[in-house]
Amino acid sequence: MINFILSHTSIMMFIFFVAITLYITYWASKRTQTAKGFYTAGGNITGLQNGLAISGDFMSAASFLGISGLVFLTGFDGLIYSIGFLIGWPIILLLIAEPLRNLGQYSFADVVSFRLQQKPIRILAACGSLSTVILYLIAQMVGAGKLIELLFNLPYEYAVIIVGGLMILYVTFGGMLATTWVQIIKAILLLSGATLIAFLVLAEFNFNFNILFAEAVNTHKKGLSIMSPGGLISDPVSAISLGLALMFGTAGLPHILMRFFTVSDAIQARKSVAYATGFIGYFYILTFIIGFGAIILVSNNPEYLSELGQLIGNNNMAAIHLSHAVGGDILLGFISAVAFATILAVVSGLTLAGASSISHDLYANAFLKGKQDEKKEMFVSKISTIFLGILAMFLGIIFEEQNVAFMVGLAFAIAASTNFPILILAIYWKNLTTRGAIVGGSAGLFSSILLVILGPVIWVDIFNFSSPIFPYKYPALFSMSITFLGIFIFSKFDTTKSSFLEKNLFDRQFMRSQTGVGIDKIITH
Amino acid sequence: MAKKNINFLYQNLIKVRFKIILPLLLLTIIPYFSFIWVIAFNPMYFGTIIKNTNISIGILLGFLLILLIFLITLVYVYLANKKLEPLIFAIKND
Repeated sequence: MINFILSHTSIMMFIFFVAITLYITYWASKRTQTAKGFYTAGGNITGLQNGLAISGDFMSAASFLGISGLVFLTGFDGLIYSIGFLIGWPIILLLIAEPLRNLGQYSFADVVSFRLQQKPIRILAACGSLSTVILYLIAQMVGAGKLIELLFNLPYEYAVIIVGGLMILYVTFGGMLATTWVQIIKAILLLSGATLIAFLVLAEFNFNFNILFAEAVNTHKKGLSIMSPGGLISDPVSAISLGLALMFGTAGLPHILMRFFTVSDAIQARKSVAYATGFIGYFYILTFIIGFGAIILVSNNPEYLSELGQLIGNNNMAAIHLSHAVGGDILLGFISAVAFATILAVVSGLTLAGASSISHDLYANAFLKGKQDEKKEMFVSKISTIFLGILAMFLGIIFEEQNVAFMVGLAFAIAASTNFPILILAIYWKNLTTRGAIVGGSAGLFSSILLVILGPVIWVDIFNFSSPIFPYKYPALFSMSITFLGIFIFSKFDTTKSSFLEKNLFDRQFMRSQTGVGIDKIITH
Repeated sequence: MAKKNINFLYQNLIKVRFKIILPLLLLTIIPYFSFIWVIAFNPMYFGTIIKNTNISIGILLGFLLILLIFLITLVYVYLANKKLEPLIFAIKND
């Protein structure tokens, strides 16, 4: 049996990573005195740096371990998720990245409320952002606790508190600048670690994919069926619904959208998406190779199996065991430390997005109605960071024994049904009014939550009812239709005075979104 | 005169951008939903092993789709920098 306690390498590497990131936080804290510094790292991150940071935000431990674990378990089906997580990027690039950069300052709510009424729109956007962020945070926290418990042999609660504590330090003192550099370092570590494992796996098979796949089919108990789609999607409604959630959910994730304000202009925003897509796509190809490698090198090796013949830990540990199988204790230590770093970076990005939603959207713009008071806003953002960090630790401990896999799916559904529609229509649809956005957006938010609760994942698997009220696992097709329909009807029949004003402001907003003309005025105040 | 010129440049920018974005958007959405569609309706087809290899059609197409997604982003950045930026620059200068 593999002995995680003896893994001194991983502890050394982890301490090294924490030391470096805390030094960066200290360095960043001296440069993060203004709101602009806190939210956008000063706005001078380059396209390549931001591309790495975006991929750092997006390549979570859940996607590294989860997707390679899914490939290990089912083969082909892992690829469906990989492609789904990648397909949102061209959408972001073609439709959102540049207008977002040209219209917004700190958060995507800036863009939605550009010509609409500040208070209600900010509150709606904050509800969408915070529900996405908190669901995502819980899933990450529980995953982190379990992983660290296993890798470093620490009690679950300690693991959650260490992650939460470090994340509060990074974000409170280092803001976006520290978070960005933590993301960049982590992305480089994760990409190199995964590359190394995949390289060592391929080396075992003479870099010949035919041999790799043939061996995997021979080894896996499902045989040839790992080469074809399995049970992940079985009916067309689920297929389209999952497809929509993944495609448009990515374009509604607040921590991803926030990254576009860290670059200087639309040109850099554009470049950063291309870099990010390249890194993330490459990473998913690696996880696929890693999953297949684990089928061959881990699934029959008694060293990695419990007495019942199950993988030690769970199927999500396939990549970790594989790193030991191909690279011994040193690589295992390195990959464990990378997994920990990955979790820290992702939760920091999420917390920052959540905190800025509270301080910038709720406090500064909805509550103070935009009366600039930077000092107070900074103070609130730091308090919100600490509050969110403690909330995440608390929820992480509460949900320890729960199945939290559905939470990321729900976060994507909310992002696709609330954040994405109001953002895209605010940018491109002249007739969008405050009333339409509020009615449609909140209908989307509530319906996606309700449909997940009434669906098979919660109603049957968690509440133990015999059959679900809503038959599909993925709500996006329905909740997104509700949102768009609601927005359309309530905007079209909106005859209030303010709605005419909002429609009239569209042309100027559109010109600015397309050209960036007028952007300097806001940035140099 | 200047105002008319800006308006012309701006309309042109919107037209060129639309011409660049639309095909790339279709190239993203259609292959992806076709992929998902086959998974839902004809999963066995994706399991077919390509002759003289051990790789199934589904896995090959999945890899190609990842490559296509990346290429789309590269093509857009290239076209936007080459064709859109000069137009935007002209508008900003006017």
